[in-house]
Amino acid sequence: MEEQKSVNFMRLLSEESTQSTVSSDSCEYYQMEIFDLLPSVQASRPEPSRSVEQGGAESQARLGHGPLSQGPRDKASTQPLRNLALCMQGKRAARDMRKMQISSIGFWKSWRQSQSTNMKRLWEQMGSAVAGLLPWRHTLHRIEGRFGVGVKAYFVFLRYLVFLNLLHCALTAGFILGPTLVYGRGNDSKPLTFESNDSVLDFFLGSGYLDRSPVFFGYYTRGSLDQKCLNTPLLYFIGILTILFLSLIMVVRRTTVGYKHTQMLGKRYSTNLCYKILCGWDFTIQDPAGAVLKQSFIRNDLRLFLEEQSFSLREAQRTLGQKVRLCLLRLALNLMVLSLLGGAFYFIYFSTEISLHEDGHHWLLSLFLQYLPPMTITFVNLVLPHIFRKISSFEDYSVTTQVNVTLVRSIFLKLASLGIYLFFILTNTKNEQHHCRENQFGREMYKLCIFNFLATFSSVFLLNFPRKLVQEWYPSSAVARRLGKQHFLIPFNVLDLVYGQTVSWVGVYYCPLLPLIGTVTLVATFYIKKFSVLRCCVAEHRMFRASSSSVFFHFMLLLGLLLAGVTLGFNLRQQEDRNTSPCGPFPGDQTVLKVTETCVGSLPSMVQTILRYLASEAFALPLILAEIIILTSYVSRGRANQKAIDRLKDMLVMSSSDKVFLVRQHATLLRGQRKRQRVAQDAPVLQQRDASS
Amino acid sequence: MGNKQTIFTDEQLDAYQVSLFVRLSSRLHGRYHELAPHLVPMDYTNEPDCKLPLALIVNMPELKENPFRNRIVESFSEDGQGNLSFNEFVDMFSVLSEMAPRELKAIYAFKIYDFNVDNYLCKEDLEKTLNKLTKEELTPEEVELVCEKAIEEADLDGDNKLSFADFENMISRAPDFLSTFHIRI
Repeated sequence: MEEQKSVNFMRLLSEESTQSTVSSDSCEYYQMEIFDLLPSVQASRPEPSRSVEQGGAESQARLGHGPLSQGPRDKASTQPLRNLALCMQGKRAARDMRKMQISSIGFWKSWRQSQSTNMKRLWEQMGSAVAGLLPWRHTLHRIEGRFGVGVKAYFVFLRYLVFLNLLHCALTAGFILGPTLVYGRGNDSKPLTFESNDSVLDFFLGSGYLDRSPVFFGYYTRGSLDQKCLNTPLLYFIGILTILFLSLIMVVRRTTVGYKHTQMLGKRYSTNLCYKILCGWDFTIQDPAGAVLKQSFIRNDLRLFLEEQSFSLREAQRTLGQKVRLCLLRLALNLMVLSLLGGAFYFIYFSTEISLHEDGHHWLLSLFLQYLPPMTITFVNLVLPHIFRKISSFEDYSVTTQVNVTLVRSIFLKLASLGIYLFFILTNTKNEQHHCRENQFGREMYKLCIFNFLATFSSVFLLNFPRKLVQEWYPSSAVARRLGKQHFLIPFNVLDLVYGQTVSWVGVYYCPLLPLIGTVTLVATFYIKKFSVLRCCVAEHRMFRASSSSVFFHFMLLLGLLLAGVTLGFNLRQQEDRNTSPCGPFPGDQTVLKVTETCVGSLPSMVQTILRYLASEAFALPLILAEIIILTSYVSRGRANQKAIDRLKDMLVMSSSDKVFLVRQHATLLRGQRKRQRVAQDAPVLQQRDASS
Repeated sequence: MGNKQTIFTDEQLDAYQVSLFVRLSSRLHGRYHELAPHLVPMDYTNEPDCKLPLALIVNMPELKENPFRNRIVESFSEDGQGNLSFNEFVDMFSVLSEMAPRELKAIYAFKIYDFNVDNYLCKEDLEKTLNKLTKEELTPEEVELVCEKAIEEADLDGDNKLSFADFENMISRAPDFLSTFHIRI
C-alpha cells in the first residue's frame, strides 16, 4: 500500500542550514500547505526575476506586491527605479513600462519629475563635495582602523571644537575688532608700543604689553562710532552675547539629535543584542588588522553583556544582610569622595589666595606663584579621577555602572573646581581704584588656557612618549612590566577638551581673542594627540558606550556653557553694584545696563514699550507657565502613544497565535479528510483481496 | 583603456544610469574584467552572458575581510549559488553604495543574514551570524544565550523568528546602519 505524503516540503533548504530540534514544533507549522497560501506569506515571497519579463499590466501588478517592491502599487510605480529591489533585467523592464506610461502622463508632470530627480542629484553632489572638504579625513580614517570608533569620536569632537572656535573668531573680528580698528579708540587711549618694563614674560603672565593689547578687555574703548544705538561698546556686548547664544544653539542641537538617536533604540540601548549582532559589523573595513580589532570589539561587547547578566543574577541573590552592609560601604565611600573633593577645593582656595596676594618677588618665583592656581587645578584633575576609579571598584557595581559613576564624579570635579576658582576670584575684595578688574579676570583665564595647553604638551612628551620608549628599548625590565601598555583614555581626554572650551567661554568677555588662542591650541592639540595615539598607545579592546557617545560629550559642553553664562551674569551684576571700573568699553558709570538703556531709549516708542514688556515679569511668568503646559501635553501624549504601542504589540502576538492555531486545525482536518478518502478508496481493494484469499 | 563608448552602447549606459546608485564607469567594468580577464569580454554592447564564480568575487579587496562575503554574493546572484553576471555585480555595489536608501539596504541585509533562505531569521541564522562575527570564540552556551535574548528583544509577533517586518522595525531605530552597511568601490 503506497503511503501518500500528506505534506509537501515547499522550501529547499541549503546544505548550510541545520534542522533544529527545539523548534521542530514550529517547523511543522511552517510546512503546512495552507501556510503557503496565506496572503502575508505570499507578500513576503522573493520575487523571481523571470516573472518580471512578462510585460504589460500583469507585471505592473506583480511589481506592486510585497516589501520587496515597497508596498502598494502606486508607490512602486512612482519610486525611483534605483530603489526597486529587483535585478537589472527587472529594472529595465520597469523602466520600459514607465516610458510607456510617460507618454500618457503629459508634458508638465514628466518635466516636474525630471526636475525633481535633477535637484536630488544636485543635492547629493553638493553633500559629497562638502563632506570632502572636511580636513583630516585621512587621519581619522587611519585612527578608526587602528583604534576603533571610540577614539575616532574623540578626534571628531576635537575637530568640531576647532570649527566652533573659528566661528567665534569670525564673530569677534566682525563685532569687536572690526569696529575698533575702523573707528578707532577713545581720545585718551595710548597707542600700542613696547615700553621699558615689557618682557617676554608678559606673554605668559598677560601683563605689561599684553595688558595694553587688543587681547584684553581694557583695550576697547568708545571710539568715534558714538551713536545712541550703534557704538563700539554696544557692539562689543552684542558680539559676546551672539557668541554665547550661537554656541548654545549649536550644542543643544547636537545634543538633542544624538539623544534622539539613542532614545530610538529603546531604553536598554546598551543591551540591545539584536542590533549588536545584525548591525554590528562595519562593512567598510578592508584591512585585516581593522577586521581583527572590530571582531574583538564585538566579542568583548557581548562578553560584557554576559558579565552584566551574571552580575544581575548575583545581585538578585543578595541577602538582606549583604545589602545593608553594601549600603553602608557605599555611604562611607561616597563620604570619602566628598571629603576628597572638599580637600581639593580648599587646596585651590589656598593657592588662589597666595597667587592673588603675591607681590615683588624674584621673576621666576613670581611666575611660579602666578601660575599656582592653574597648576593646582590641573594636578587635582590629574590625580583624583584615578583615585575615584579605584574607589568605585570597591563599591560592587556592574562594570558599566562603575565606569559611569567614575565619569560623573570626574565631571563634577572638573567643572566644580573651575567654578570654585572663578568664585574665589570674583569675590576677592582687592579693589584698587585704578585697577582694571576685568583685565585681571581675563588674565586668569588666559593663564588657565595657556597652562592647559602646556600641560597637554608636557604630558605627551614628558610622560607618554618616554614610557613608550622604555617599553620599546627595555621591554623585559621591571619598570616596563610595572607600567604596562598605554591606552588612550577617551573620557578623561574629552573632559580636558570640555574644560578648555569652558575656560574659553567664561573668558571671552574679558579676553576677546581667547577663541583665536583656543583655535591655535586646539589645532596643535590635534597633532600632539595624534602623535600620542598613533605612536605611544595600543588599542583597547573594550569599549564602554557612555564614554564614547557623542551625546555625552555635547552634554558636558552644555554644562560648561551654563557655567560660563552664570559667571558672566554674576560678574555683570557685580559690575552694576560696584560701578567704578576705569577701563574698557564700559568705564565708570557707563555700565552695560546704562548703555543698553540709552539705546532702547532712542528707539521709537512702540518698540520701546514692546522691549520693556518683554523684559518685565509680566511677560516672563506667563511664558514659563505656557512652557510648562506645553511640556506636560507632550509628555502625556508620549505616554499615551507608548500605551497604544504596547496594546498593538499584544494584539500582534495574539493574531499570530490565532493564525498558528487555525493553520494547525486546518491541517488536522485536511489530514483526517485524506485518511477517510484513502480508507474509502482502499476499502473495495481490501474487500477484493479478502474475497480472493 | 578605451572610453565607455567601446564597452557599452549609449542606450545601455543610460539604462544603467537610472537604475544604479553608483556611477557606471570604465573603472567599474575594469574591476569586473580584472577578476577573470580571459572570461570577461571587453565589449558588452551585445550583452554577453558571462558569469563569474563565487570564489573569484569574494577575493576582491573590498569583500575579503568581510565575514559575510559568501552570503553577500549569494544574495545578489540569481541562481543563489554566487555566480554573478556583470549586471548583478554592479547591482551589488549599487545597493551597498552610500546613496542607496535605507529600505533597499534593509531588504538586502535581511537576505544576507537569512542563511537558510526561508524568509525568516530563525535562531540558527542568528547563531551562524554570531559565529561568523566573533570567529567562533564564544562558547556554544554563550552563543545560544545571546541569540535567545536577541530574538526575544526583536520578535514582535511571538513566533520565535524574526520576519522582515521585525527586522525592519529594528533597523529603523538604528542610527548608523546606513553608514556601516556600505562598501565603497
